[in-house]
Amino acid sequence: MTQGRIFASILGATTVALVVIGTVWPVPSAVAYAGGQSLRRSSSTPEAAVGNLGNDIRDQAWDKAYASLANKAQFTEPEFVHDLKGYAPSLLTYATLDSFEVLPLHASANKATVELKLHWSTVVGASVTTRDVHVVRDGDRWEPEWPIVRETTVPPQVIPVNYLRWDVIYRGAADDWGAQDVESPHVRIVDMHPVERAEGVVILGELLNEDVVPAYVSVTATLLSKNQSVIATEGSFDKISHLLLPKQVTPFLIRFPNTQLSDIRSIRMTPLSSLIAASADPVIEIVNEKLNAAPDASVTGQLANQSGQIVNVAHILSAFYDKTGQVVWVADQYVDQALLPQIPVPFQIHIPEDLARSVSSQRTVVATYSFEGAQ
Amino acid sequence: METVKSIRASTQPIPMGLVLMAVVVVHLPLLLMKLPLKSYDTNFHIFFASHYVHHWFNPWNAKWYAGFSQATYPPLPQQWVALVSRLFGLDMAYMAVQLAAMLLLAVGVYRFSLLWVSPRAASIAALASVFLGSESFLVYSAGQLGTTFAAPIYLNALPFLFEWIRHGKFRSFLKASVLFTAAAAAHHATLLFGSFFFALPVLALALLDRQDGERTSAPAFVRRTIAIALVVGAAIAIVLLPFWIALIHYPVTQTPIPHPSRANYILSPQWGLNYFIVPYGALILALPFIFLRGSMVVRLRPLLLGFWVAFLLGLGGTTPVGHLLLGRAFDVLTMERFSYWATLLALPFVGLLATELFDRYRMWAVVGLTTAAAFSCALAVGWATYRPADAEDFKVNTVASWLNRDGHDQYRYVTLGFGNKIARLAMMTDASSVDGEWNSGRMLPELTRYGAGALTSSKYFGKPGLDALRAMLTHADHYGLKWVFVRDHFYDPLLSFAGWRPVDNLEDNTITVWSKDGVPPAMPLNAPQMPPHWQGLMWGILPFGSSILAILVVLIPDKKRYERRMDRVLVTDESQAQERLVS
Repeated sequence: MTQGRIFASILGATTVALVVIGTVWPVPSAVAYAGGQSLRRSSSTPEAAVGNLGNDIRDQAWDKAYASLANKAQFTEPEFVHDLKGYAPSLLTYATLDSFEVLPLHASANKATVELKLHWSTVVGASVTTRDVHVVRDGDRWEPEWPIVRETTVPPQVIPVNYLRWDVIYRGAADDWGAQDVESPHVRIVDMHPVERAEGVVILGELLNEDVVPAYVSVTATLLSKNQSVIATEGSFDKISHLLLPKQVTPFLIRFPNTQLSDIRSIRMTPLSSLIAASADPVIEIVNEKLNAAPDASVTGQLANQSGQIVNVAHILSAFYDKTGQVVWVADQYVDQALLPQIPVPFQIHIPEDLARSVSSQRTVVATYSFEGAQ
Repeated sequence: METVKSIRASTQPIPMGLVLMAVVVVHLPLLLMKLPLKSYDTNFHIFFASHYVHHWFNPWNAKWYAGFSQATYPPLPQQWVALVSRLFGLDMAYMAVQLAAMLLLAVGVYRFSLLWVSPRAASIAALASVFLGSESFLVYSAGQLGTTFAAPIYLNALPFLFEWIRHGKFRSFLKASVLFTAAAAAHHATLLFGSFFFALPVLALALLDRQDGERTSAPAFVRRTIAIALVVGAAIAIVLLPFWIALIHYPVTQTPIPHPSRANYILSPQWGLNYFIVPYGALILALPFIFLRGSMVVRLRPLLLGFWVAFLLGLGGTTPVGHLLLGRAFDVLTMERFSYWATLLALPFVGLLATELFDRYRMWAVVGLTTAAAFSCALAVGWATYRPADAEDFKVNTVASWLNRDGHDQYRYVTLGFGNKIARLAMMTDASSVDGEWNSGRMLPELTRYGAGALTSSKYFGKPGLDALRAMLTHADHYGLKWVFVRDHFYDPLLSFAGWRPVDNLEDNTITVWSKDGVPPAMPLNAPQMPPHWQGLMWGILPFGSSILAILVVLIPDKKRYERRMDRVLVTDESQAQERLVS
């Protein structure tokens, strides 16, 4: 063999070797695009079988995911997809699977149970769903049995709607929203105090709509230092219920990361309100509400949609009070499944462990969003 | 029979005029159809050019990221677009500059190939560049004007570098220096990586050839190499001084943004199709020849090694080479440019292969190679339609009009679901946005912290993208961000719960305008990144001036020495030459 041929062979072999190395042990960016793993693992263990299912769900390879199930004869592929992403449009419908965890719970020679924790990325933040997946052995491979939850339906019926509604006549179609030629609804901060947490200063409080018309509200807070200079200004963002009907109260929470209470001399609160058309419908009732003590302190309950229309996204805000009635914490949760009429959906809002003992009561409000219009 | 005879008899190079005509015939209609406007980055370049139209001497652009410096990107092709737009308007000026770059590429490939192969093979290589899949991919799908503008200038500089090293002619030294500087003013990465892939092989060639004809001593070789490296380095340092100052003071430390060109093309075959099959096209069939001939002919080995490294880097995450060689730059750069450079380095081999096939198979070779070339070009051009950057085409005129009336432009805005139309919108409105498409130029912490690209496409970046969007909306008051234009209702729940309200509908209700109450008017950010006036003057004069100087210097007549020399020592398809050179 000539020197040239040897050189060509070395280059060719090196190229092939590099490709093999890059495929068997891919670099992080390649792993990310390949769905979190290098070459697909065979389903030789229960964890590998559920892991492959998780990868298929992340890749939205529904055909492959459905085909890998041992109990696929019990439901159709659309039912499987709807079970994961929601039967009615909801946060999960448009979410992407960011990551997943596989945790073995129980295993025998032919059967196993594996916990599949799915971390969804929704438009309003992360959402986690957990499923216990049974896995059965079929020869030398394992196949997951999907724990299907079928759609719950209610019988056909007529639901009368007689809730209050407020309409607003604006100056003209060309007017800009927010430049209304009417007095803003009267709102008042009824409680406010700052607390220092590990991540920084947090301002908690409640805002009341004192008016007889609905108000679209938000709150901003400005921290002032000892020499009256501005340290930072932040808003309540989504830690408030922005729509307040007459006499309604909403808790709010404003975060100031990386600040210390000792640096603050005063706080300037600025509540904003503007008139808005609104309706009391849909009414979401909170049923079986319960304040659970530590450990794992939380408020739990169910949301029941009492109207006849679907609520696609619900946002729950809870204010927690001490014995004197002062707000000690505000927490929230988005419900990642749609609220269908008369079908309760459970929720659980956790209370920080260090505050749990001082909590003696709570109040929870619900804000909703329907894809045909916000409420 | 007539045709066969003429092919058999033809050992002459294809006239350059004919090659240039081929460029015009193939690409002019596509450019007149403004096909590049559908690509990922074309609107970005036109947006930069539109800024130079109005602010030639001020690189601070307030329309994106609440203000950013255009001195973070070499300006030459965009300044040419700005200048030519005085005649044709921005869109057609872009097409004109792109066409000029393609014409220059054919000339550059011919001149570069002439260093390695016969004039006939070099002319075929030049003709092949017209149909090069990677060129069409970058022009019509990626819209990388900087890369496709800089590479031809660089290729044209390389023969002068060879001449200078081999014969020490000052005229070549001058031409090489000026052209290298102009190439850097067009695209800094091309110069940086081109030095390794293109210039080192040429230097190695000069070393290999030093005993042929006029001898070059080793000290002279070293002295000349150091001299041109120092002069070009100093020239580039001065011409792009504002760029270097920006880079040193504000290095790109933001969280890397994922890009599919860094995928493993075997584990992710869809990206293999996009970043390997389409750019290489029929060149894939020539790979065995490139490796074999490049290895067997000693003189071609430097070229082969340059090609090989660029080829491996162009494979993205398919091999660990990019990750190991480039380090953090691997997570910042996109890899398709390496495939582009690899294909340019492969063209001399293609010319060589084609001449041998023509001689051996004659008409069949003509038919086969023409078909292969047409297929490669057609696939890459058509790819812009099969896999468009923007699946939907829509107008942003009404959005721009809305922003420009009734004082709406006192506030900043952001779009959601607009794709690469944000550059087009930014050109048409006076309002400022907190979003943008030039990721290396952004400094707002809400954008740099999470590892996502443009906010308008937040959802496609998953959690990092949505986190960045939430962070930006949280600080809306700080930036005077009052308007959100939504064309993708995926984002509606977030806006609703975060305190934004729909206030208007545009474009037959396909675009909703959301507003937030209580937002103060936007104030100019007193950013330390704002270049001082002297830097603006430098930015307006030196990069563009380097291209004018390059044109003037290249017009100085040359003695065509290297062509004559090549006729003597070229690697031809003739057997006696191979016998001498094959090891």
